[in-house]
Amino acid sequence: MKTLHIAFRNIFRNSRRSLMTILAIAVSSIAIHLFGGYVANIIYGMQSNYVRDNGHLQVYQEGFFDYGAGNPVAYGISRYQDLIHLITNDPQLKEHVVIATPILKFFGIAGNFKKDTSKTFFGIGYIPSDLKKMREWNDYAMQIRKSRLNRIVLADDDIDAGIIGEGMARMLLLCEELNVKNCKEKPQEKIEDKSAAKEDFSFLEETKGVNDPSEGIDKRPRLDLLAATAGGAPNIVTMYVNNTEIQGVKAIDDNYAAMNISLAQRLLYGKGEKKATGIVIQLRHTKDIPFAKVRLKQIFDEHKLDLEIKDYTLIVPMYRQVISFLFALFSFISTIMVIIVLFTIINTMTMSVMERVDEIGTIRALGLRRGGILRQFIAEGLVLGALGATLGTIASVMIATGINSSGIMWTPPNYVDPVPLKIMIFLNPFLSPGCWLGMVMLAVVSSIVPARKAGKMVIVDALRHV
Amino acid sequence: MNNSEFAVRLTDVKKRYLLGKVEVDAIKGITLQIPIKKFNVIIGPSGSGKTTLLNLLGCIDIPSSGCVEVCGQDIARMTDEQASDFRAENIGFIFQNFNLIPVLSAYENVEYPLLLMKKPAKERRELTLKMLNDVGLSSHKHHRPNELSGGQRQRVAIARALVKGPKLVLADEPTANLDSKTGQSIIDLMFEMQAERHTTFIFSSHDHQIMKHAEKVFEIQDGLLMEEKER
Ligand SMILES: Nc1ncnc2c1ncn2[C@@H]1O[C@H](COP(=O)(O)OP(=O)(O)O)[C@@H](O)[C@H]1O
Ligand SMILES: [Mg+2]
Repeated sequence: MKTLHIAFRNIFRNSRRSLMTILAIAVSSIAIHLFGGYVANIIYGMQSNYVRDNGHLQVYQEGFFDYGAGNPVAYGISRYQDLIHLITNDPQLKEHVVIATPILKFFGIAGNFKKDTSKTFFGIGYIPSDLKKMREWNDYAMQIRKSRLNRIVLADDDIDAGIIGEGMARMLLLCEELNVKNCKEKPQEKIEDKSAAKEDFSFLEETKGVNDPSEGIDKRPRLDLLAATAGGAPNIVTMYVNNTEIQGVKAIDDNYAAMNISLAQRLLYGKGEKKATGIVIQLRHTKDIPFAKVRLKQIFDEHKLDLEIKDYTLIVPMYRQVISFLFALFSFISTIMVIIVLFTIINTMTMSVMERVDEIGTIRALGLRRGGILRQFIAEGLVLGALGATLGTIASVMIATGINSSGIMWTPPNYVDPVPLKIMIFLNPFLSPGCWLGMVMLAVVSSIVPARKAGKMVIVDALRHV
Repeated sequence: MNNSEFAVRLTDVKKRYLLGKVEVDAIKGITLQIPIKKFNVIIGPSGSGKTTLLNLLGCIDIPSSGCVEVCGQDIARMTDEQASDFRAENIGFIFQNFNLIPVLSAYENVEYPLLLMKKPAKERRELTLKMLNDVGLSSHKHHRPNELSGGQRQRVAIARALVKGPKLVLADEPTANLDSKTGQSIIDLMFEMQAERHTTFIFSSHDHQIMKHAEKVFEIQDGLLMEEKER
């Protein structure tokens, strides 16, 4: 107790030097906090966005992830409703699972025959109300952008409706109808050969009648979707495009067509058994992933199901890349800060020891053991570290608050539009306490060498030193 | 005489320092016994080895050869920790430069040795206040050393040396940095304290004036004991 007390007083003895040291620690702490808070905001933001749309886990038929994307027929999950029932009613999983919902991913060709254009697309079918519920997930209490909050979702009963990417709309010459911005006039194609899909292929439609409301009733732009069915025969359905939604990656934006799962099922399975290619599972908390994975595996084994489970970090390779990049950057900055603090404290403590040689000799003569001297100087390092780290934390919170309310905009990776720059220091609960503790420990560690030097001093030499 | 009646026994003690490549013999072979409960003075000119001798007696140094027994203990046989604890318990130091801890108040400086002995708070407080009163500094107890005069600092140092009731008090030229009037009052104070408490005092000086209080005088020169006088 007294040791800390004396340490405090010694720190205020050379207040200028101590202040510089404390500031060095504080500045390092601020750098780590701000960059860490910035990185946390990106990572947790990406995670939140992803989890809202795609859940934490996706369950596929074994092999689908690697080989099956183009073949929803071969890799479809039969009786997926039973599987979902199994997951959502499992006594162990029940509490962790927000929702489990089917999705159907496939490739097809979309034609806008009014304009005589067609193109391939990547289709995704889902249950609109489930997606709506998934989008409410906000475990990190992140501020959700208005543009995301106000996203239009399909309605469950609007079974022929769909949403396409802006790029896709552009290519299908639907700019006008769908109010796509930045749509230039399509340059004239050199070769006038559109024989590829010139004719309306509605003759292929299996489900005529159900999917053929007379024109005039529905004013939405209409696309004809073509894909191969289970039997191998081509099938076609009509999708009414509700609106467009820009996708983060151009390659996806140019090919994206989301729709009510029943429409996709009608296209792919016709009158046969309706399947899904995957089950999307959203958990209450991201940290529950390992547990949920283990339990799901158990359930699948029990029921002899050949299913594989992928978590969101696997499904989006970009996610991992961004994280490892940011982590490397964060480590780099932290390392530099650590080195600066290390040298500053070693220097300060060494000077402090050298200035107090006679004092060290005196208290050793009075009967303080070597260990006591060691403790005394380490306590000083500790106090310096604690003051610097605390100051750094407080300053970081203030600076972060300032930046967050300044309205600076930037465009994070994988985003299409700029968002306000946010520094979320407390988003990662370990960042701030870890930084504080790290700085204090660093201060203690850097004090050890000078403190040992003080402890090892020969008393009579120290006393003669004036 | 019985062992226990000597605070210190030196047997052919030599101390050699290495100053760069030059060997300096600070003490060249001293044999002496210092009796307990007396006011002993070691006198000698500057460089004669007084400080070196007191360092040995204070267990902060060990002889190059010979044997130093302090309160019956061979100091060369103690580990660093044992020597530290021994000093904390038995020895009070008064230095030429006062050597107070600058960040501590007069009160805290006097209390410090009691903290080292892990005395309970109440006892510490009582002993410290009494000691400050005895040296006449009750009104200055919250002053830091730099707010005190030289004489006052040395009074604090005396209080610090005596507060724990040590067996041996070593004062190495305690008046060398004081004017003669203040120096005299410090000597008077120490003499008074010694008379009251019957602690063994060993006092070094190069000033023959001091000797009027001394009960026993050892005169050294060039690291050798020249004369031993009882008074
Ligand atoms: N640590 C040391 N290293 C080298 N020489 C020393 C050391 N301590 C003392 N001496 C030498 O030993 C001799 C005695 O010194 P000291 O005991 O300080 O004498 P005094 O206290 O009587 O002035 C002197 O010549 C001094 O230079
Ligand atoms: Mg001397």
